[in-house]
Amino acid sequence: MAARVLQQCVRSLARPSLRLSSGHLAVRAAAAPLATVHRPLSFAADSRRTRWLGQSRIPSVGVLCRQYGDLPPLTLETIKDRVMYVLKLYDKINPEKLQTSSHFMKDLGLDSLDQVEIIMAMEDEFGFEIPDAEAEKLMSPEEIVQYIADKKDVYE
Amino acid sequence: MASSAATRAAASTAKVVKPILSRDLDEAKRRVRELYRAWYREVPNTVSLFQLDITTRQGRDKVKEMFDKNKHVTDPRVIDMLVIKGKMELQETINVWKQKTHVMRYFYETEEPRPTDFLSKFYRGHDP
Repeated sequence: MAARVLQQCVRSLARPSLRLSSGHLAVRAAAAPLATVHRPLSFAADSRRTRWLGQSRIPSVGVLCRQYGDLPPLTLETIKDRVMYVLKLYDKINPEKLQTSSHFMKDLGLDSLDQVEIIMAMEDEFGFEIPDAEAEKLMSPEEIVQYIADKKDVYE
Repeated sequence: MASSAATRAAASTAKVVKPILSRDLDEAKRRVRELYRAWYREVPNTVSLFQLDITTRQGRDKVKEMFDKNKHVTDPRVIDMLVIKGKMELQETINVWKQKTHVMRYFYETEEPRPTDFLSKFYRGHDP
């Protein structure tokens, strides 16, 4: 996923870098790259440098683009896929019987301590703490997805 | 007549006792869950720190078993006392105040179970 972001970054920079040699500063400023990439301030110096090298050469990515590491944005679909994947890995759950709306205690026959284990697995998967006061109410995968979407500001 | 009425009245008035840590059953159960979380996260560190010969899975099953032994308790004060004792054990395990033998004592049964059927009781010497 990070490789994909990098490829998009390079592609979006390859386009303005071809325009660099023609010297259209306004066009390059308008062709804004991805939101994650910040533009360097020294436009004039870069345009002069690449005009020397010619049109075909794409400068090394580290020259023009500042790269930040970040995860891809969460959507409801990805959250649901990850939650179901983690639940299928849990050995006390039968993966055939697992649905989005299946209740842990009534349908799947789990214990309250098993539910605590499941919530801890979700904490490890998504990387943020779920306090126990709210964790005891999450009794089905759908509720877990809703809770994570609320906490992470994922728009429905 | 009067004495039986008095005993009935005494039985109906609930005895209010001073709570140890939590006021009602929900709060006590919350403490139990917090303790379970702490133990669950501690087990892999324990297995590597004490160089135990068990897998993490076995350690976690043992933790679950120890918690299930007291599943039937309903009095919040008793639950609080058990939680306090569990926290003490956890502190001793985290700070390596115990040794390997103390941790492995959870895994070996030290007391024999009491006999239930007639023949075992007979061999043991109890009257049926």
